[in-house]
Amino acid sequence: MTEEHIVTSFDDELKELTDGLVNLGSLAQAALANVEVALKTNDHNLAQQTIDADKEINELELKLEGMTFNILAKRQPMANDLRNVFSSVKVSLFLERIGDMCKGVCKRIVKGDLLNAKSPKTIDALVGLTNDVQKNLDLVLEDYAQGKADKALNVWRSDIKIDSSYASILTAILDDIKNKPEAIESLVPLFFIARYLERIGDQATNIAEVNYFIVTGEVLTDDRKIEIEEETVF
Amino acid sequence: MNDSLKNKSLIKCSDVNVYYADQQALFNINLDIKEKEVTSLIGPSGCGKSTFLRCINRMNDVIDICKVEGSIKIDNQNIYDPEVDVVELRSRIGMVFQKPNPFPKSVYDNVAYGPKLHGRILHQSDLDSKVQESLERAGLWAEVKDRLQEPGTSLSGGQQQRLCIARAIAIDPSVILMDEPCSALDPIATAKIEELIDELKSKYTITIVTHSMQQAARVSQRTAFFHLGKLIEVGDTEKIFRSPEHEQTEAYVTGRYG
Repeated sequence: MTEEHIVTSFDDELKELTDGLVNLGSLAQAALANVEVALKTNDHNLAQQTIDADKEINELELKLEGMTFNILAKRQPMANDLRNVFSSVKVSLFLERIGDMCKGVCKRIVKGDLLNAKSPKTIDALVGLTNDVQKNLDLVLEDYAQGKADKALNVWRSDIKIDSSYASILTAILDDIKNKPEAIESLVPLFFIARYLERIGDQATNIAEVNYFIVTGEVLTDDRKIEIEEETVF
Repeated sequence: MNDSLKNKSLIKCSDVNVYYADQQALFNINLDIKEKEVTSLIGPSGCGKSTFLRCINRMNDVIDICKVEGSIKIDNQNIYDPEVDVVELRSRIGMVFQKPNPFPKSVYDNVAYGPKLHGRILHQSDLDSKVQESLERAGLWAEVKDRLQEPGTSLSGGQQQRLCIARAIAIDPSVILMDEPCSALDPIATAKIEELIDELKSKYTITIVTHSMQQAARVSQRTAFFHLGKLIEVGDTEKIFRSPEHEQTEAYVTGRYG
């Protein structure tokens, strides 16, 4: 099948939409990279910069929404184009949410003082969780940019690990609160940070599912994931 | 359960080949058309979809150089069997064309013509009822009930097309064939015809040729894609427009064919 539409301006619009989403993905990745550094170094300035930069993510998400709206009205896309255009609304929303969650983490860093929590192990664990979430986001965005869904199942599998790390971190924070009740005000924000990171992991999984839908036309349900798991176990 | 699983096949086409002299127009078409559903035939110009539609009521018989091979069964009867009465066959299959073509008669006589011709209605009161019922089913009665003696050609294009549908259903067909029924109509008249098609499918098996992908998506439960005289893909309309199996289908419905 030729990749190009008879109406070349339709191709231009689809490319602009995809490029915009890749760009939005880069902004979300940059925000998450800032989260990692700010957590490691307790860098309040970087955290504040990340909070301020979220506006750019929100504006781009709105711009992409407008582009999608116009494509639907003008082109009435079908088949892979329809899956692609419909899914772009979801992906841009997931990325915008990731921006919001990075902003949430950074607000906790700016308002609280991570050093007062005196829980370097928990901070390390949160950095580790950030790295795991980053890996998944990188994989799904790479897939999206290439029009593939190769990493969808890997991302789904590793999200189970992320959920498990999240649960361990919560337990550690609870133990810290019991042992160091005087540090509770610095420890509670760590709960929120862990929660935000775990939710960013979920958004990466959501994007993986959308990639799968774009490529195959099928919805990646939990049952289907298990089926694929069984099919791929030798 | 979706409609495609629910309904049985009314029309079964097997190994249909059509030739215009030495030129083959259709190649081994195997297609079942389900009862009381709308089936869309789509494909680029010259792909054979209208030729196929016209095989279903043997309209190609009038073209001397046209030869049809294979079998088309309606209710398990091969309509190409020599003993089939073509006039009787066409009384079971209504046809609506691209351009509205009312007879140069009154609105009333346009609808009454078929039942009178086939001698199915003997009493005037029964004929009046049949005309009213057909116009009501075609969604036209309210607009023409005070204009029944006016010429059919005096109606608007959309009304004329609905008059042609009323004329087609007045003979109580089981199948209605439509060859691009909305291509000469404005969007409002098109919407009325599409609404009507949706209502008519509860009583009739409808096959429609359309160049509008969106129309096929709106009105039909099954869609068949033809290309260069071959049936490339047939399936639930939702499937065809969401994730077709064949690359050629995808290329066509997304506007990449060329």
